[in-house]
Amino acid sequence: MDYLVTIAVLIAIYTILASSYNLVIGYGGLSTVAHPIFFAIGAYTTGLLAVHVPFIPPVGNVVLGMAAAVVASVLLAGSALRVSGDYLLIASLGFQLGLLQLLKNLEFTGGPGGLSAIPSTIVGPMRGPLFLAICGAAALACVFAVRTIVNGPYGRAISAMRDEELAFTALGRNAMSMKIAIFAIGCGMAGGAGGLYAYYFQYLSPDQFDVLASAAILTMVVLGGMGTAFGPVVGAILLLAIPQAITFLQLPPAIMAPTQGIIFTVLVLLFLYLRPSGILGGKA
Amino acid sequence: MFEPVILLQILWTGIATSAPFVLLTVGFSLTLKVTGLWNFAQSGQMAIAFYAMFFALHGLGLPLVAALALGGVLTCGAAWLIEVYGLQVFRDRGSDNLMFFIFTLILSEFIIYVITLIFGTEPETLYESILSPVDIVGGIAISDWDKTGVALAAFALAALYGFMRYTKEGQFLAAVSDNAKLAELYGISAQRAYRVTAVISGLFIVAAMYLIGSHGGVVPNSPLELVLSAVIGTLLGGIGRVFAAAWASIFLALIQSFSILFIGSRWQNLLLYGFLFATILLFPRGVRLSWGRR
Amino acid sequence: MNPVLRTEGLRKAFGGIVVSDNVNLSIASGEILGLIGPNGAGKTSLFNLISGVLRPDGGSIFLNGERIDSTPLYKRARMGIARTWQNMLLFRTMTVLDNLLVGPRDYPGESVMRLAFGRGALRAAEAAMRNRAMGILGRMGLEQTANSLVVDLPFGQQKLIGLARTLMNDGPLLLLDEPMAGVEGAAYETMQRVVRQEAESGRAVCVVEHNVSFIRDLCSRAVFMANGKILQDGSVEELIASDILTELYFGV
Repeated sequence: MDYLVTIAVLIAIYTILASSYNLVIGYGGLSTVAHPIFFAIGAYTTGLLAVHVPFIPPVGNVVLGMAAAVVASVLLAGSALRVSGDYLLIASLGFQLGLLQLLKNLEFTGGPGGLSAIPSTIVGPMRGPLFLAICGAAALACVFAVRTIVNGPYGRAISAMRDEELAFTALGRNAMSMKIAIFAIGCGMAGGAGGLYAYYFQYLSPDQFDVLASAAILTMVVLGGMGTAFGPVVGAILLLAIPQAITFLQLPPAIMAPTQGIIFTVLVLLFLYLRPSGILGGKA
Repeated sequence: MFEPVILLQILWTGIATSAPFVLLTVGFSLTLKVTGLWNFAQSGQMAIAFYAMFFALHGLGLPLVAALALGGVLTCGAAWLIEVYGLQVFRDRGSDNLMFFIFTLILSEFIIYVITLIFGTEPETLYESILSPVDIVGGIAISDWDKTGVALAAFALAALYGFMRYTKEGQFLAAVSDNAKLAELYGISAQRAYRVTAVISGLFIVAAMYLIGSHGGVVPNSPLELVLSAVIGTLLGGIGRVFAAAWASIFLALIQSFSILFIGSRWQNLLLYGFLFATILLFPRGVRLSWGRR
Repeated sequence: MNPVLRTEGLRKAFGGIVVSDNVNLSIASGEILGLIGPNGAGKTSLFNLISGVLRPDGGSIFLNGERIDSTPLYKRARMGIARTWQNMLLFRTMTVLDNLLVGPRDYPGESVMRLAFGRGALRAAEAAMRNRAMGILGRMGLEQTANSLVVDLPFGQQKLIGLARTLMNDGPLLLLDEPMAGVEGAAYETMQRVVRQEAESGRAVCVVEHNVSFIRDLCSRAVFMANGKILQDGSVEELIASDILTELYFGV
């Protein structure tokens, strides 16, 4: 039972990650692979504050985690977009890896061993279900926030920017600040998810946030459908459900991990070739 | 600690160890220059190159030449297939850069997972021993591996330079990298240029993986780290500047070598990433050293 | 009377190619200026310099007396420079109405803050913009296309929509880059009429066109450019009668 609750919490957290990532790459059209690092910034900020600054309430720490993620994302996007949109891709990769190295090597963040003993917030038998309720609510809020942003006038602007950025700018729209705003919102949400993650699992390690985590989030978004509001939810569920299903096959661990990897990568490749719009995506 | 002999040793070893990275970086940078793509599928090719040679030497008991040939055929073949049946498909669809990134990264991961399944996660080397015979020249230890590496890299760079400058095919590559649409108007096939580039970078990858695999242990995930150093070198050298990227790789390797004098080894990697950060923030177009006007 | 747009000694070169060679141009309110010349003369480059797509190598640009040559593209649009494009650059995945709605100088939906905290004001602004857009479509007789995807419309109508979108910017300067290319019949008439109306309402209009009858019908003044230089600036009749120009334009 506990185990199922944990899976559900993970689905909720992954939904926030996939949804916010979808906002950035699916709707905003920004090429970036740095999403897990903002997840990490949120998680580590929240965790470190919880450990070292006990008088801030947990909600405050999560919000500060989000704020840290937003600041970092504005710095990254602000510098990279000045060169070109394509450059953001590589810059985000570099940022992701560099910050990861920093996390692995600083004593302050616990080094490769990770940050543990993050204080409990909720105790007792209802911990699981309560956390699930909180994370679930956050996930729902996130999905609907993204939906609200992309419908209506702001969404219209985003579409126009993606269709013809030059004409868009020549109409008087500040494309640069829109891109930075979208990036900041998406990364801020990822930071918030990080805070929730830190409090639930009470332990963080750099390996949880590496490039393969990028690939996992990418997979969720591609499979579910980029540029659709509910696609990432579908992707998140799939990404967590499929490995669970494979576990039942009782394969030895040395075979299981690469097999899972193969199934996912093949799925993504198939979708990229045959149905790039994903499961929920409409137009091809 | 700062005696000339030691400094020279560090210099030499730095240059020698940079050899495979120069090869990888040049292959990556050339691909970026001609196709405009950050081709992360090359990490998959690196895995194929190493494990093909490993299998040839240990699984099939073939001599070195045959192993190199097998590595070459499989790697260049894979590169060609990826270009024709992967990248060109997405190009025809007008896919954006993110699509290419996802495709190349996920494809590499697929290749690496398959290789993990077949070969496991234990570190493997091409030879039983990673030590090679050493000569002492003027107080400096120069190993056979060092010599092979430097010779291979120097030869490859010279060959590439000659190819790009003096052959028709090489000039076509330059034309396509400048302006693919314009080149097509003059009857130069962009697709052909992309394929030629794929094969060239395949060869560079095989050479690099031979060097790396005979100098230390390789695991299926190693290529992911290796492609990163290729990215950093490419960025530092400047997009489109292949030989500058080669210099950047050597420079980075030397920085890492000499930094041992001052900082602990655990900070080596961090240094590399520090450079990456600095490049992204301060020199996004690469570091330009003006050796006079071009 | 002060010109709406004035350029002084405008210079721009790409590598060895000079696209703007000491260009001095001025356009007054209510005037329709024709900009003619062979391909590669630098006409579109001049538009790009004025609107802000390109930065000049030298010289200056003044909009209603204010110097704008280092102002970014999007700010110049907000200051009131409206332009069309040779390739139209319509937003392909969107409807006609949506294309127009992104057009006004001040687009309320651009700010996320307003999305979160000013829903009421946002809705009111949207309604006002919608009315304006339908008004412009009405002037062109295209109200019925409002909810069609732009890519579903015939070429002539697409060009008109491109103009309509530009007209959502109610600023003092209108730059039209080959608006008539490939357009004939009713669309041609509509475009002429609308452009004339804009000038009559006080806008300064500059039109790049190869279609000589359009220039003759519409423009009071014309400027002939070749190799980045303005070779002649005068009335349309003078220009068309000039020998050198005929040779340059139609020669070889």
